[in-house]
Amino acid sequence: MNVSRFDVVIGLLLAPLVLVLPLVTQNDFYLNLATLIMIWSIFAVGFDFVFGSLGMVSFGHASFLGIGGYAVAIVTQRFGLPFEAGVALAIVAAATCAWIYSFFALRVAGIFFSLVTLALSQLLYILADSKLRDWTGGADGLPGVARPETFGIDFFNSVHFYWYVAAIFAVVMVVIAIIRTSPFGRVVMAIQQNELRTQQLGYNTHRIKQITFLLSGAISGLAGALLASLLMYVNPQMLHWSTSGDVIIMTLLGGAGTLWGPVAGVILFESLKEWLSGWTPYWYGILGILFILATLYFPKGVLGEIQAFAGRVRARGRKP
Amino acid sequence: MSTIIIGLSLGMLLFLLASGLTLIFGMLGVINFAHGALYMLGAYLCFDVSHRSGSFTVGVLVATATVGLVGMAMERFTLRPLYNRPHFYQLILTFGFILVITEAVKIFWGLGYKEVTMPEMLSGTVDMFDSTIPIYRLFIIGFGATVSLGLFLALERSTFGMLVRAASSDGEMVQILGLPASRIRTSVFGFGAALAGLAGAISTPLFPIELGMATTTIIDCFVVIILGGLGNIRGVIAAALLIGMVRAVGYTFMPSWVDVLTFALLIVTLLTRPQGLFSRQVRSA
Repeated sequence: MNVSRFDVVIGLLLAPLVLVLPLVTQNDFYLNLATLIMIWSIFAVGFDFVFGSLGMVSFGHASFLGIGGYAVAIVTQRFGLPFEAGVALAIVAAATCAWIYSFFALRVAGIFFSLVTLALSQLLYILADSKLRDWTGGADGLPGVARPETFGIDFFNSVHFYWYVAAIFAVVMVVIAIIRTSPFGRVVMAIQQNELRTQQLGYNTHRIKQITFLLSGAISGLAGALLASLLMYVNPQMLHWSTSGDVIIMTLLGGAGTLWGPVAGVILFESLKEWLSGWTPYWYGILGILFILATLYFPKGVLGEIQAFAGRVRARGRKP
Repeated sequence: MSTIIIGLSLGMLLFLLASGLTLIFGMLGVINFAHGALYMLGAYLCFDVSHRSGSFTVGVLVATATVGLVGMAMERFTLRPLYNRPHFYQLILTFGFILVITEAVKIFWGLGYKEVTMPEMLSGTVDMFDSTIPIYRLFIIGFGATVSLGLFLALERSTFGMLVRAASSDGEMVQILGLPASRIRTSVFGFGAALAGLAGAISTPLFPIELGMATTTIIDCFVVIILGGLGNIRGVIAAALLIGMVRAVGYTFMPSWVDVLTFALLIVTLLTRPQGLFSRQVRSA
């Protein structure tokens, strides 16, 4: 099975936008917003691997994002290692954390999975906020997180950092597209549709769920490392459960279970945030109302609805 | 001794909250993520009304009733269309309500801490077992015990309780028999929400009222219902008292480890008895 034509078309539509933006504007605000959107997209796409593909609602993904951020901050600041080593360690640390979580959370199913991941991530949040203050800087966080220094390029420049993130974003999307259409990705989706039947077909569904969770955690850790580097700052807010909530909102608004849906959701979320917060301090409540309406009437999300619509049109065209 | 009283009163508050949550889950199969937000709404309403009217009792009553009505509206207009979808849609829907309720509270009452003065009748202390104990804590223990007993009797002994249990085990059948299954669901959700509002209202003289209370509380509640075994009211009583005691003992001897201890208890339980400490059936939802 190949990547669907719909996903390829969207990728081809998006690519020129990403390439042209830094040529059109040198404005730091827009470049940083675009970089932020790409980083959150990496996070959302990683999250959707568990949420959309596996059909499990994790309320603990903030942990993986946060661990990625803290790992890169601690590794570069304390041990003076290069940025790339920090990112690599961030990925490993987040994946390890995801593996530990899966050990507890996969013992229970359905909504209990959500509750357990929530409890575990709040535990980590409390630890980072108070107990591990020596390492994490407590509630103050760690300022001055490094930017990459690869090939002696100055990545404190917004344009350069934009390209850095764009390259990683592209690679992540390609990798995710390949995983989704690989035999492994198909089994993951089969588990969502009918776990028992998948088991009967001879797949070790527990092991596959664990690997999915681990992969999802690793990608989230990568996003966390980049986010810390963009903001040049990490604080416990990254670990807080409202961060897990945000990524759920984004993914659902955009379209869970599709390749580009989470990306669309992030774009929608961040644009709404910029737009709404311009005229009301209570934008989060409006977003909440939108989210409730979307859950009720557009559960497939923006992209899911478009994809379904395109499918209907094509089906009609095929009829004699 | 005072540690035990504090633990019991905390446990009773947690029980009031968690029983609403577990009632809704047991009867409707819905985890209400916004339960903590409703608890916070109850506290703010109680603060507002008791200041305006000058009576704490009026405040508690109005808060409980209003939060109950909010809950009924939530069920009627947003949850009812979702029962046929996978469970997680209900979870994320109620998550959306956290955002809405929190912002609404910010709009009406702002960001600052609020406090409620203790009603005079309950404000003193008594000397018992060689220690001084605030009457209000005793009031909460008594109140919680009364409510839990009432809840238990209502569910197990009354005709309405029987209807509720029937509607939860087979809603369609209840409907066919000509009974209003949907309306029963709405009132159960409203009742569970009212319990959250009540807990919020009577907690106001003890704790400062602030926006963060929604988050901290809901997570404690989740711990309680997981330990107790979801949908199991008896288990929730025991688990709430257990967590209350752990918190009280923790605050006395190692205050900075309280939250960690609570979570540790949860994790150990999940590893050894994933179906909850007080349930026998295997969990699959």
